[in-house]
Amino acid sequence: MRANPSLAIVLVGAVLLGFVPFVASDVMMQFAINTLLLATLAQSWNIIGGFTGYVSFGNSVFYGLGIYGTAIAMTQFNLPFAIGLLFGLVLAVLCALLIGIPMLRLRGPYFAIATLGLSAAMGALISNIGIAGANSGLVLPLIRADGMFYWLALVLLLACTLTVYWLSRGRFGAGLVAIREDEDAAATMGVNSTLFKVIALVLSASFTSLAGGIYAYWISFVDPASAFDPTLNVRMVIMAVFGGPGTVLGPLVGAFVLSAIYEVLSSWISTAAALLFGIVIVLAVIFTPRGITDVITGMRKSGWRYLTQNIREHRL
Amino acid sequence: MLLLQILVNGVLLGGLYGLMALGMALIWGVLNVVNLAHGALIMLGGYVVYYLFTGLGIDPFLALPIAALVMFALGYLLQRFILNLIVRSPMLNTLLITFGLNVVITYLAQLLFSADFRTINPSYAGMNFNVAGITVPMVSLAAFVIALVLATLLWLLLNRAALGRAIRATAQNLTAARLYGVDPRQIYAITFGLGAALAGISGGLFGVLTHLTPYVGASLTAKSFVIAIIGGLSNPFYVILGGVVVGIAEQLASLYLGSTYADVISFGLLVVILVLRPARSLRAA
Repeated sequence: MRANPSLAIVLVGAVLLGFVPFVASDVMMQFAINTLLLATLAQSWNIIGGFTGYVSFGNSVFYGLGIYGTAIAMTQFNLPFAIGLLFGLVLAVLCALLIGIPMLRLRGPYFAIATLGLSAAMGALISNIGIAGANSGLVLPLIRADGMFYWLALVLLLACTLTVYWLSRGRFGAGLVAIREDEDAAATMGVNSTLFKVIALVLSASFTSLAGGIYAYWISFVDPASAFDPTLNVRMVIMAVFGGPGTVLGPLVGAFVLSAIYEVLSSWISTAAALLFGIVIVLAVIFTPRGITDVITGMRKSGWRYLTQNIREHRL
Repeated sequence: MLLLQILVNGVLLGGLYGLMALGMALIWGVLNVVNLAHGALIMLGGYVVYYLFTGLGIDPFLALPIAALVMFALGYLLQRFILNLIVRSPMLNTLLITFGLNVVITYLAQLLFSADFRTINPSYAGMNFNVAGITVPMVSLAAFVIALVLATLLWLLLNRAALGRAIRATAQNLTAARLYGVDPRQIYAITFGLGAALAGISGGLFGVLTHLTPYVGASLTAKSFVIAIIGGLSNPFYVILGGVVVGIAEQLASLYLGSTYADVISFGLLVVILVLRPARSLRAA
């Protein structure tokens, strides 16, 4: 095996991020935890969307299940946080299996939109369930431990990223990429595409739900509108795509860069922040559709022409 | 009698839903772009009518053609100068760029129009009449009739006019259409403009029937999408029919399950239809 710089970058990055709680202010910690969770979401989406090529707009369902699994276990049954996380994980995995087997038969935009529909229906469904606090939500035991949440989020992100690294090197990941490039050809070559797709979705759902569980306890209040927020789906997709889908570092870079931009802009004017965020998306899709991590290698190869290459290939 | 009333409400509401989805289905069928900014265009059309009515005192129904022209121009420019640049990319990229446009339009609207609820409220807004004990609101009926008229016009345009032939040719085979002297850049821009104009008209009617905020776009996009899937992309009348199906389903769900279940029904319907009939040919336009 060739030496791969991305593993080294991930490990060095994780060690450096480990120093953050010792130097950061309270406000910085809030931002850091939030960013780590968002990066986990983007990286989890990368497994099903970036590697397997199944664009899921329904990952917020797994996030919401993680949030509600944890919240219900902790508030309704007084179980400890760890059991709550596990409960959310089980719910998300069950949901991924249950919907994955029929829905992963759909391809292209049909899968994308079916998952979008699922996330909308799920939010509405939860708000009708009594044990989940219906529309008013649930209040979790309050705990002031930003340090702990930071470590949990960092460890989760690292685990997710190492899984993606394994995908980028291993046989299983190669199977997923084969499905993305041409599913019929992959099946012909002996890839059990149904099994591979379902495992990819389950992996993606697991990390997403754990991020949800951590978020629930950290924020200590959950309601359907924020747990099943459909814009969250889009944010994770955009972070992964902006950074570079199907790569190990891309979603991380995308999540960190976009979170920072968003944070700086929203401290300025909140409306203008969202507006400029939209403009960033439009420009990124036009000029760098393979993500900003690709720009570096692309610019080295073809210079400034790289930026117009996408337009030349895809314009009418 | 209550059931009959619900059905009538569902059909009338469904006509407007169908009209919302017409533009999305047209753009999807011809350009193969699922326009996630469609709901934002509907919202913009609503605001155009609102300001024509409150600012210049133009009757909302007379303002609809003006809104259609404004939205056509906007749609034409968007496609000509932005979307045409990447329109042949993989679908994920066109989804993302239209989502980006959706964000831009939504927050520009919030800056320009503020986040307040707006209702287009002409003097006749509350009028209705009774037929055999069933109340029929005038404005809803008018919206339904306009939806049918526009579906007919679109059908005639696509099937009887030279422009429509060029649009269908471009949808079927871009290269062949080009060889026959059709400029696809122009056709794509006109098609997107037509879709935006239809969205604008439905937005005006939506503003009269309910209320506008800059944020209504997202749910209207989703609804239009559901209807485009149910109705298919080939025939405008099927799209209206798809709207009626969703309208009735929502009204029945509100009656028997409570209004909080309306969204569960329309999106549940979407998932079930997609999973049961995945091979359905949508690109028959």
